[in-house]
Amino acid sequence: MHLNTVYITVGTTQFDALISTASSEPALKALQKLKCTKLVIQHGNSQPLADDEIQLIRKNYGIQIEQYKFRPNIEDVKSADLIIGHAGAGTCMDILNNHKPGLIVINDTLMDNHQLELAKQLAAEDYLYYCKVTDLDAQLATLDFTALKPYETNPENLSKFVSAINQLMSH
Amino acid sequence: MTTSAPHPTYVILGSGGHTAEMCRLTQALLQQTDIEQTEKYQPIRLILANSDSTSERQFRQIMPQAAQSAEIAKVPRSRNVGQSWLSSIFTSLWALLWSCYLVWRDRPQLILCNGPGTCVPFFYAAYLWRLFGRLPSHSRIVFVESFCRVETLSLSGRLLLPLADLFVVHWPALATRYVDKKNVRYFGRIL
Repeated sequence: MHLNTVYITVGTTQFDALISTASSEPALKALQKLKCTKLVIQHGNSQPLADDEIQLIRKNYGIQIEQYKFRPNIEDVKSADLIIGHAGAGTCMDILNNHKPGLIVINDTLMDNHQLELAKQLAAEDYLYYCKVTDLDAQLATLDFTALKPYETNPENLSKFVSAINQLMSH
Repeated sequence: MTTSAPHPTYVILGSGGHTAEMCRLTQALLQQTDIEQTEKYQPIRLILANSDSTSERQFRQIMPQAAQSAEIAKVPRSRNVGQSWLSSIFTSLWALLWSCYLVWRDRPQLILCNGPGTCVPFFYAAYLWRLFGRLPSHSRIVFVESFCRVETLSLSGRLLLPLADLFVVHWPALATRYVDKKNVRYFGRIL
């Protein structure tokens, strides 16, 4: 499988462990095996990679790294061949709506870790994979991203929601 | 300060994923084929946390036209991710004062939100002012639970469940759990 461009996103959270694990040696080796040549990292409030690390990764693994704090990420999502992100609804929806292979990484340092629920549900329906941050490198090496199902939205259900509000506001 | 028109629709934007969801729902509401329905919801007023640097841009990107006519109000946040419970009390009170002022001033007919902490004081303010007759009795508050919530309600959800006129959940497990609540609705997967 060729996952040339891999997009890593932490949204507005602080998730240093995701960035550091994804740029660790075993994870980079796994990415290299998946034919990754470009890693785009939206690090938000997390610690970004140092310039010398970026140089080193390019030299040792042939993976070019682009990182930024925040920007409208529609283009990043669309051009990604794999999205690795925190379990925020935004990231899950980006994966689902753009039919991208996705790996959700659980951040267990957040105060209220309900995020697991969504990732589990979506993984149970084969829309994406999820794992703990400590397993990220191992999972990258073994997961079969071609086995995931494309997500179908249902515009009829959305119209039901709109009708319910129309009805609520008809006075 | 005056508003351009009475009874706006308040769309409360959170951060990150909350905003993406809310944009999709607002878009659905504003892009109905029946123009008459769509016009009911004008004018739109976006409520943003003052620490939020991305939501406004996100909204503009998804709905450039609606964003052009929408007014924007920036408010203090009740609680930041990771903030301690104790200091949350003071920031929440401050946020509540702000919400009471804005809702009293604007008299929104509809408040639409999907769970960021910012929306909680607005629901209380709207409930209060409706009780006191400052808001029209037909004004409504709609809470859409976060798409993230599969089995349990969010803190905002639990606080606002008794107040919301319509409370939307995204997953069957929650629908079953709150089947006895009349305001809770499940439309299947809407996002």
